[in-house]
Amino acid sequence: MPGPGFSCHGRWRLLTLLPLTLLPLGCGAGSGGGEGEEITLYTCVSDETIQPIISGFESDNDGSEVKLFRAPTGDLNARVAGDVRSGGLKADVIWGCDPLTMQGYVDQDLVGGWSPEGAADIPEQFRTDDYVGVAVLYMVAVYQDGAPAPSSWSDLAGTDYDSVAVSDPNVAASALGALGYFSQEPDYGLDFYSTLEEQGAQQVGTPDEVTAGVAQGAYDAGITIANSAYLAKDSGSPIDIVWPEPGAIAIYGPIALATDSADSTLAKDFISYVVSEAGQQVVAEAGSYPTLPGVEGPEIPADAPVVYPDWPKIDATKDSLLSDYQQIFGG
Amino acid sequence: MQARSTDLGRRAAVLAVGTVIFLLVVLPVFRLGYVVWTEGSTQLDEVLGRPGLGEAVLNTVLLAVAVTVTAVPLGTLVALGLRRADVPGRGWWRFAMLLPVLVPQFVLGYSWTQAYGRAGFTDTILGLVWPSVLGPWGVWAVLVVNTVPLTYLFVAVGLATRAEPNLERAARASGGDPASVLRHVTLPLLRPSIAAASVLSFVLTMESFAIPQVMGTPAGFTTVTTTIYRDLSLGSDPLSFVEALTLALLLVALTVLVVIPADLWLGPRLRVTRVANPEGAPIVTPRGAAGRWIAAGLGGYLLLGVVLPLIALVTAAITPAVGVSPSPGNWTLDNFRFVVNARNAEALGRSALLAFAAAGLLTVLGGAVAVLERRRAGRVMASLVTVTLVLPGSTLAVALLITYGRWIGGTLTLILLAYLAKLWAFAHRPISGALDRLAAGEMQAARASGAKALTAVRTVALRPLAPALLGAWLICFVTALHEVTMSSLLYGPDSDTLAVVVLNSKELGRIGATAALSVLLTLVMLLPALPLWVLIRRLQSPRHPRAGGARSLAHAR
Repeated sequence: MPGPGFSCHGRWRLLTLLPLTLLPLGCGAGSGGGEGEEITLYTCVSDETIQPIISGFESDNDGSEVKLFRAPTGDLNARVAGDVRSGGLKADVIWGCDPLTMQGYVDQDLVGGWSPEGAADIPEQFRTDDYVGVAVLYMVAVYQDGAPAPSSWSDLAGTDYDSVAVSDPNVAASALGALGYFSQEPDYGLDFYSTLEEQGAQQVGTPDEVTAGVAQGAYDAGITIANSAYLAKDSGSPIDIVWPEPGAIAIYGPIALATDSADSTLAKDFISYVVSEAGQQVVAEAGSYPTLPGVEGPEIPADAPVVYPDWPKIDATKDSLLSDYQQIFGG
Repeated sequence: MQARSTDLGRRAAVLAVGTVIFLLVVLPVFRLGYVVWTEGSTQLDEVLGRPGLGEAVLNTVLLAVAVTVTAVPLGTLVALGLRRADVPGRGWWRFAMLLPVLVPQFVLGYSWTQAYGRAGFTDTILGLVWPSVLGPWGVWAVLVVNTVPLTYLFVAVGLATRAEPNLERAARASGGDPASVLRHVTLPLLRPSIAAASVLSFVLTMESFAIPQVMGTPAGFTTVTTTIYRDLSLGSDPLSFVEALTLALLLVALTVLVVIPADLWLGPRLRVTRVANPEGAPIVTPRGAAGRWIAAGLGGYLLLGVVLPLIALVTAAITPAVGVSPSPGNWTLDNFRFVVNARNAEALGRSALLAFAAAGLLTVLGGAVAVLERRRAGRVMASLVTVTLVLPGSTLAVALLITYGRWIGGTLTLILLAYLAKLWAFAHRPISGALDRLAAGEMQAARASGAKALTAVRTVALRPLAPALLGAWLICFVTALHEVTMSSLLYGPDSDTLAVVVLNSKELGRIGATAALSVLLTLVMLLPALPLWVLIRRLQSPRHPRAGGARSLAHAR
């Protein structure tokens, strides 16, 4: 009693074969890639930055391969947590976007215990014994063309701005760094955020959303990261950027060796390469701010002031800080 | 002898499907529970008593109820309205109703804020702003717009497979007015489909993340999923990770509280036993003003819910930067050039392959559960496959990583398993809602006449169920292709999917590129519609003796 239309046998055969077609892809994905040595890198650094770094390293180390897992910090954390509970961390190197996340990995004994020789050339505020900062994000003020330029952070809480956008410190580590910095500054404290909120400030998710909101005209000004603001401005968005007093807030992205890969020469070589002048040059050319002094990165205004959060102190007070912040902006 | 063989076959089927459910649902959820118990049981009080969690739970449940009680009646009304022959351009409206599903959810919230927010599209053109677009009302509105096509599809499939035109005609001939025929004949027949749509709408709202995050968080409106996201963002601290898993299990518990009683109690009561296949031509309604009003209402819904946000999205895609006037002099294709490259095409190919495979397997698995749940041994299966639907993608991915990561971590196979676990209920519910169309006697008659089991299924069951099977396949394919959260967490070297492309684009802060990618994705989604359309036309052709199936497909598309 064959039905009209298409062949049932063909359909069943197709359904049976579909999973089989996936197996080679799946197996291939997990297998080694060539005769050379390989390492696995976990990072939250943007694809635009990490790809040139990997290419540069692989061309300097013929036959080697860097396998990449790149995701936002939240997904990176989840992946690491999943790895830890299913046989151990699969990464040889982790390149994070903020010191707090990396310190969490150190506390779990997943990374750390080794620093490359070149780390000594990186400023002290960007390194510890367990990890070394290889890129920096600067929190700056962005404002609409035509609006008054804020000269200091406290100007944003003034009456010149009907609405200011801030990113969520629960989501973006850069925003948490800014919150930590302001909370520790006697002239600011959490009162700064209370005043911002009273003046109509709105909390959005990430710094990119702050930039987009200001560029679109939804907000008069905002606190965002310099890369995002300059990218939008260079693309033609009607915004301008200020590095306000007492300074743009520097949040560094550290790199660290996995403790299970303490014997991996290639993993150590990779970290050494990123810290080296050649690696830092690639970081700069890819649009990120390098940490190695003397390597010129994206735009920084002359005499732009920069401040550095006290990360250990933020780490120690993170929970109460976020709780107090939540009282102000809700959520 | 044959009865014994059939009984053995049923037991084997229950065992096989039960095993798959155990591997895809029970084991991963158990592993999550085990992690919470071993690593966080001492802090359980602290986690569950944290400030703001009660409000997030309340918001989540209220939102799920609000979306369900709005989207299900709306979807039902649309399906019933489009059943009328006097709606001008009915074929077009049936297709257009599915357009919101084709727009990736990760840009839906963004496109609404671009359309109706401050300095958005309507603000720029007309000076009209909807201040509440950021906040609970905006979240509710977008979720309703996104859910109505789904509920419409479920009810349309229900109408296609379950409607009894002759029964309705008899009721009308016996003096019943249209309202009473609807109340006493049509709606009771549709109850399983409406119930399925309600359960899925409730569960999908509970697990929704992108829209509450983009539109709710700026206004201080939190849900359980946005709270989980925050925990994971700060989750290099193991306690934050365990908190995220605990909240995910809380969602599972809330779902179980609603879905299992509904499935166990309502399921058998809503089913209708047929003694024969329904025949009869569809009811023809005379041309009148009602059809035009229905078309106008649908037009308004689609204009506000889809067209304006899509225009805002296209505008963002063709302007060089946010805030630049979208006048023709500023138009550019640079954003499209940025996202169209060989690497992204490969990722799209992998995603399409995954989605195709997942949709096929899910249709089989969904059908299996729909059949087995009608027996006592399989009754709880339907509820179990809904459990993984409510788990936020990030936590389900973690559950599968913990369970199977050591063997297949970083492979497409693990991503496929995640799709199967996540979307099983998507496939099961519409098929289950349509299964009553099958008259048990016809299958038995086919077997008694010498047809083998597969032949009986193919010739008796598949054709009348075709609308539901196609609907299930379509929903699974679209959802799998748009899926971002799980695959971005599970991919490995050489197995990056579309999700990675999307995240790369979003992470770079290139809103124009993300918008261009979304426009391209929406266009890509239209491609499978073409073979489906051909298939439908083929089944509708006069060569096929069973007009019921063809008629049904017209409803399901």
